[in-house]
Amino acid sequence: MKGTLLFLLVVTVVNTNLNAAEAGMPQLDPTYWASQAFWLILVFTILYISISKFFLPKIKENLDNRENKIKEDLENASKFKDQAESKLKEYELILENAKKEVSKIHFESKNTLDKNIKLKKEEMEKEIEKEILKAQKEIVELKKNSISSIQNISENIVSNIVENISGDKLNESSIKAAVEDVSKKNLSKYL
Amino acid sequence: MASNPMHQFTVNRIGPEIKIEGIDLSFTNASLFMVISASTILLFLFLGSKEKKIIPDKMQFIVEMFYSFVAKMISDTAGSKAKPYFPFIFSLFMFVLFCNMIGMLPYSFTVTSHIIVTLIMALFIFIAVTIIGFIKHGFKYLRIFVPSGVPTVLLPLITVIEIISYLSRPVSLSVRLFANMMAGHTMLKVFGGFVVSLGVLGGWLPLSFSVALTGLEILVAFLQAYVFAILTCIYLNDALNLHH
Repeated sequence: MKGTLLFLLVVTVVNTNLNAAEAGMPQLDPTYWASQAFWLILVFTILYISISKFFLPKIKENLDNRENKIKEDLENASKFKDQAESKLKEYELILENAKKEVSKIHFESKNTLDKNIKLKKEEMEKEIEKEILKAQKEIVELKKNSISSIQNISENIVSNIVENISGDKLNESSIKAAVEDVSKKNLSKYL
Repeated sequence: MASNPMHQFTVNRIGPEIKIEGIDLSFTNASLFMVISASTILLFLFLGSKEKKIIPDKMQFIVEMFYSFVAKMISDTAGSKAKPYFPFIFSLFMFVLFCNMIGMLPYSFTVTSHIIVTLIMALFIFIAVTIIGFIKHGFKYLRIFVPSGVPTVLLPLITVIEIISYLSRPVSLSVRLFANMMAGHTMLKVFGGFVVSLGVLGGWLPLSFSVALTGLEILVAFLQAYVFAILTCIYLNDALNLHH
């Protein structure tokens, strides 16, 4: 569309008298060409110098500053992260060591305790055995003593009973023999 | 007078006549709008860079956006070797963009709608690029006209075409910008004239067309500044990195 229009305009210009540029394209009127060129070069040179010497370094510095700041911050962050990780590892190591020590202490104390208990138990058992032996001896002695005293009592009882029933006094030795005989037969039932 | 769509491009003298050795260098409305555009750019850059904040405010952000936009454009098309030319391309882009945009304001003058202005810029770029090419590569720079991988039979023809296309660079560069600006503004004026002549009853259609066209012209104003700058980058790239 623009191309067509431009073509039409160019045709118009060609058909119009070029000297009367007011009727055609003012762009083709050379009156102010030199002026436009002069002012363009002047303005653009000033623009270029002030941009290249003043504004662009400023903008670039600002952009670089920002980039550096971001980079620095990121570096710091990663450094801190590393530090935190190493601290965590240290902490975990300490924790593990402590756990090991705890289990070691636990094991050792358990062992000594077991040993002590065993020792005490053995001692006690020995003592108990001794006591038992002693008691057994005493029992045996008591048994022996009791048999003789029972025999004496029995003899007395028998002589008394016989005296009271028959009025006669029996021979002591015969009583003794009879009691011994009975006691031999029946004593085992009671002792 | 106002009904002539070409009248808006007329150059008038403002103030006294300045003549140096018979050449008229008077200050004109074109000169005035060049000064206005440049001042606006400088004011804009000043406002955007006066405070150095880590977190930018709006103005600073826009200025930095322009900076990174042009920097990216150059590094994408011409590579890292073109870094010394960044201030020039930045100034060029900003100047063309602001001239185009300020030309969109009603009753203003579009500096870039004059062939002499665009031609001077294009010729300067063309000559500078050619000189840079010869400085960087010496006579090997002429190899730009002899593309590699072309059959020997076609080589003379291709070389001639390459030379013509190289020499037509300033013409195409300047005419593209000038023609786009002039055509757009003429169309706006024509449709504006239709609105007036058709009156309250019939003027709504060309008015709506005019509104849409204004949006399009703002886009074109930006696009042509971008195209002008990027073509400069491409020419610079040819001179700096000889591909052929």
